[in-house]
Amino acid sequence: MHITISIKKLLCALLILGGSIASFAQGKVTGKVIDGETNDVLPFANIAVKGTTIGSTSDFDGLYELSLDPGTYTIVFSFVGYETKEVSGVEIKSSGDVVDLNVTINATAATLEDVVITTTVRKNTEAAVLTLQKNSVKLLDGLSIESIKTTGASNIASAVKNVPGVSVQGGKFVYVRGLGDRYTKSILNGVDVPGLDPDRNTLQLDIFPTNILENILVIKSSTADQPADFTGGVVDIITKDLPSREEYSISIGASYNSSMHFNDNYLQYDGGNTDFLGFDDGTRDNPLENTPGVLPFPQVDPNAAIQNTQAFERTLAAQRDQSFTDYSFGFTAGKQFEVGDNRLGFLASASYRNETTYYEDYIEGQVFRKNADPSIFELGVDRSQQGEVGVNNVLLNGLVGLSYKTEKSKYKFNVLHIQNGESEASIFDQRNLIINSNQIKQDNLIYTQRSITNVLLSGRHSSESTNWLVEWKLSPTLSRVYDKDLRSTNFIVSESDPNLFTISPSEGGDPRRIWRDLEEINLAGKLDITKKHKLFGRDAKTKFGGAYTYKQRDFTVDQFSLPFAGSFDTSVLGGDPDQILAPQNIFNPGTGQGFFARRDSNISDTFDSTISIAAGYISEEFKLSDRFNAILGVRFEKFDLIYTGESQSGLRFDEESILDEADFFPSANLIYDLNEDANQKIRASYSRTTARPSFKEASIAEIFDPTSNTFFIGNINIQPTYIDNFDLRYEIYGEGANFFAVSAFYKSFDDPIELSFIREATGQFTPLNLGDATVYGAEIEFRRNLDFIGFENFNITTNFSIIESEQNFSDDERDARLDNLRVGEELEDGRTLQGQSPFLLNFGLNYNGQNNGWQGGVFYNVQGRTLQIVGNGNIPDVFTLPFHSLNFNIGKTFGEKKNSSISLKFSNLLDDDIESVYESFGSEDRVYSRWSPGQEISLGYTYKF
Amino acid sequence: MKKLLIAGFAMSILAFTGCGSDDDGGEPTTPPTESTTLSGQITENRTLTANNIYTLDGRVTVTNGATLTIEAGTIIKAQGGTGANASTLIIARGAKIEANGTAASPIIFTSIADDIQVGQTEGTNLDENQRGLWGGLIILGNAPVSLNGDADAAQIEGIPASDTNGLYGGSNAADDSGSVRYVSIRHGGALIGEGNEINGLTLGGVGTGTTIEFIEVVGNVDDGVEFFGGTVNASNLLVWAQGDDAIDIDQAYSGTIDNVVVVQGAISDHGLEIDGPEGSATGSFTLQNVTLFGSDSGEVADYRSGATGTTSNVLVTGFTASADVELDNNGVSQNFLDGALTFANWEVVLPTGVAAAEDIFVEKVGCAMNCDDADDANDVPEDPIILMPTFTERAANFSTAVADAASATVGATTSAFSWTFANSKANLGF
Repeated sequence: MHITISIKKLLCALLILGGSIASFAQGKVTGKVIDGETNDVLPFANIAVKGTTIGSTSDFDGLYELSLDPGTYTIVFSFVGYETKEVSGVEIKSSGDVVDLNVTINATAATLEDVVITTTVRKNTEAAVLTLQKNSVKLLDGLSIESIKTTGASNIASAVKNVPGVSVQGGKFVYVRGLGDRYTKSILNGVDVPGLDPDRNTLQLDIFPTNILENILVIKSSTADQPADFTGGVVDIITKDLPSREEYSISIGASYNSSMHFNDNYLQYDGGNTDFLGFDDGTRDNPLENTPGVLPFPQVDPNAAIQNTQAFERTLAAQRDQSFTDYSFGFTAGKQFEVGDNRLGFLASASYRNETTYYEDYIEGQVFRKNADPSIFELGVDRSQQGEVGVNNVLLNGLVGLSYKTEKSKYKFNVLHIQNGESEASIFDQRNLIINSNQIKQDNLIYTQRSITNVLLSGRHSSESTNWLVEWKLSPTLSRVYDKDLRSTNFIVSESDPNLFTISPSEGGDPRRIWRDLEEINLAGKLDITKKHKLFGRDAKTKFGGAYTYKQRDFTVDQFSLPFAGSFDTSVLGGDPDQILAPQNIFNPGTGQGFFARRDSNISDTFDSTISIAAGYISEEFKLSDRFNAILGVRFEKFDLIYTGESQSGLRFDEESILDEADFFPSANLIYDLNEDANQKIRASYSRTTARPSFKEASIAEIFDPTSNTFFIGNINIQPTYIDNFDLRYEIYGEGANFFAVSAFYKSFDDPIELSFIREATGQFTPLNLGDATVYGAEIEFRRNLDFIGFENFNITTNFSIIESEQNFSDDERDARLDNLRVGEELEDGRTLQGQSPFLLNFGLNYNGQNNGWQGGVFYNVQGRTLQIVGNGNIPDVFTLPFHSLNFNIGKTFGEKKNSSISLKFSNLLDDDIESVYESFGSEDRVYSRWSPGQEISLGYTYKF
Repeated sequence: MKKLLIAGFAMSILAFTGCGSDDDGGEPTTPPTESTTLSGQITENRTLTANNIYTLDGRVTVTNGATLTIEAGTIIKAQGGTGANASTLIIARGAKIEANGTAASPIIFTSIADDIQVGQTEGTNLDENQRGLWGGLIILGNAPVSLNGDADAAQIEGIPASDTNGLYGGSNAADDSGSVRYVSIRHGGALIGEGNEINGLTLGGVGTGTTIEFIEVVGNVDDGVEFFGGTVNASNLLVWAQGDDAIDIDQAYSGTIDNVVVVQGAISDHGLEIDGPEGSATGSFTLQNVTLFGSDSGEVADYRSGATGTTSNVLVTGFTASADVELDNNGVSQNFLDGALTFANWEVVLPTGVAAAEDIFVEKVGCAMNCDDADDANDVPEDPIILMPTFTERAANFSTAVADAASATVGATTSAFSWTFANSKANLGF
């Protein structure tokens, strides 16, 4: 009901907004007052302007607002039983100026004297970044939008790697403490959202632009109110909150990469007319979607076969064209309205980004093998694969938010849509030397369309005394991934004549086309109730609640080949894939020769599963002494996985319950302040968590992936993993943003799930519960203002993590490794987890000129040699080599109201390559993949009004 | 719109929470027993009779020690489909096939597209160039196979490992998978993976107790007959117009193949493609009395990756000047030097442009270094190791030129193939 009202009011508001020109006689100071004791908002705090009679109190959300004439003020924050904080140097520069000022005040320790803390605006702002972290009862690292802006990151994936212990694989997938995929959870506004990759459990973060962000939280230790299915961490993407002021902004940006842009060799293919908007207009639709089953042979029903074949789009070849640069634009709008005593807030944000990438020298998927003779150490090349790749990536997103706030309640309604279309064209030269012996010219055309639509409806209600707080969220999400008309054509290059190309089905396969659809619906609901009370004579909070998540995933594959009938002479095509479906080359009933379409899909490729998780929890946050804070809790989760699917051998499950687990997950977080100022803390935590198999894993699906030429076989007997997590951290909070922390962690896994290969069947993989695994490591983090050497506008931030992991081998893996040992090589008991980086290092030096509007920084990031692909038989392990990322950016804010800003960023100053290699005992490392991202210059401009 | 979304959400929650099912599933669907359609698993003894035309629908596996008996003259037509849908008859380890045709009434495996009728030996609408219309015949046994890492058994290509009926290999050299005699396999070779098609007749780990003789494979996309290890002896094999190699030997097959005719077609690759062991287990083949009729396409023979065995009494005719008999790399060349790979009594009808019989025998080299990139210029090949005299020079000791096929003194006894579709369709005059 509330939402109906809100929408009406929004419509009115939009009309007003469109027809009025805002003018202000005064400026404003707004912000939030936070209770340092409980890390919660502090309602009813007094806010006064020193030397005036102007004052206000914070509302139930801790928010306040003061209207002031231009000038410089000292603002005083106070509350009974709490210290008084005076913030000086609050400057309203002109009428209409709005200053944000968030403060944290702490309770005074049973003294009657007033404690007055004085600080300046500047120190307060810097410290605000750390406030949440300092006061949090769980172990978390926050990344505010301000610090993301400093690094110049344009999407969440590149921003989040600045958090200690966080690495990003393939530019998309987040690993926390070396644990990725099933162990790291990405959530949106505190609730589950579906992933966008049929093969992963985790959400890819590169499609989330930073302009929708309020901040990102990386939570590393669990509390009862968090979902139980994470181990490495939870990455919580929090979208923009409603503005405290009227604000509009537009921004434009462009990037230039010398090796990729305005290049005449760029590869592309003609797609649909709406490609530039991130979706296909139907050009790539499956023409035989409504013609199910095996297609008739041309020999049997030539007319139908010809018709089916002609229905396919003719383009199969990658075309040369000139590439354009990257460009982007966006706008945001926000406003608040008074509606009687209540407030209605409105927020809209949209952005568009168009990126073009071209790799001239792209090596991927090379195969090296160990020699059958164990005394020969050097790896032998079986397949070399090198080519050129052109990619155009379009990202369009919109966020609309409404909030309605009454004296005791706040409602929020958010709709987020992200649309992403990626069009890729490539030409590869493949040489096969051992298993096969040939040379192949391969043309690939790929289009992937992804979208996420998320709706969030939330409410927050406070009792009169603010002792009860009820929060609820309802959030449906629909995510869709369509691989539309993946096309791949292999021509065999003649050994004797490099200009003679033929299609040989037994050597290089037939030309093929694939459609894959993944649709997932998530429905998530959440209720959290907090009750403040006294325990042992001190403030305490009881928190309890429940959550329900329902996920349904449909996955279908439809694939076709274009074989030729008869003894068609394929050399007449001249190696041009576009000739394959030329009218004269389509099956001719007269000659019995020519190309025709054949359906290759199988029922075992598809599945339909649902997961539901019902959860309830209770936790108690209390103080054992003035310095000893504890939060103890327990969470109960009931997990159900229902599966429908069929195997090739006729085994069929119809909405059958595959997993039905009910578990308790206890957690304990203890915080001890080493001194009275609470500037030094020791945190210790324990939690039990789980990692559950994905839809695809708990199945009897047998999915052949033509892109990797591998078979995935589901494991209907797979069980969830349970993990015990231990954390210890020592923190020192200095003045302002100065900070030092050192932490250690240990995680022990029962029955971890890993994708394992099957020894008898090369190229086939299945998920297995493997023995036990452990992960342990240490992190150190350091932030320091350089005022002690006179550079008070400079800050350094650095963090470093060391992580070790040990995973037992499956029996098949151990045997296969033993079989392929070199002379003098010994097999260890296990190996590191796939994707776990042995170390991570971030370093940043940034400058923030307080008055001159300049800011900038140098940022360096590297991760250690990481196991990327687990070796299989005589194919050794593949490791990702460290990529030394060094970026520099500089920006200036200018204009009378400081409403214009310009930024310039230089990426990959070291011009490093992205490279992975095969590693084998006694052998030189051999390249698995390598490409150069090149160096890029980006220029951006934002105007606020 | 937003109202609708919310309402939809609320309704969805109601609908979905009401979900859940107690259905029993998970049981394999049982195929109908007395039908002329063969599908799923055949777990009990079964006889196919010549008065019916049977339809092979999808992957049909004989398992559980059952015997599939096929009467002489029986016609089996397979449905189309590729990958997991490919219609294929698999005889799993422990099961048997008793397919005993006669020269007058051979057993015929063909496509559903073939208009052949009961009592006939050939249809009218398909020729040797219509390939890939169905899968093939796969026989798997318990005889030794030399596998990578000395694994005990392997999964035959194209079948997911979750179906253990796809395993082959073991330790029983005398294993008996039954008998396949006077069988013609036509128009098969459906795709099962990237560049991976089913052979006409695949023999994986088949033992000496099995009879394989008088077999014809016509118009298959991939190889005609492929031996993955095993010990079985095979005789009187004819392969016509295959898309890849006619006779293919892998994984240290150690039986004898006697009396073979290969008739290369328009898109054929090698007449013979012979690989060696993949693991430490060794085994040597014997291949004798072979006639290879060439075409404009393909090569004579390729000996690769450590092959060991003997090839003797071979007639090579009708190939182009560039078609050769090659030793692929140093490994197989070393076997030749060591006497583990031998050749005897080859006769060659010289193509125009070839001066002497030995000239078609060539030692090739593998790549020693820098072949892992597309830059051919920096490749460092191995050095040839058969020197003074070279392999070509030594070939003069076991090969002679003949004027034409009629004057040859070696090769296959072609009268054994008078019954074949190839002989009738291509007027081979056998």
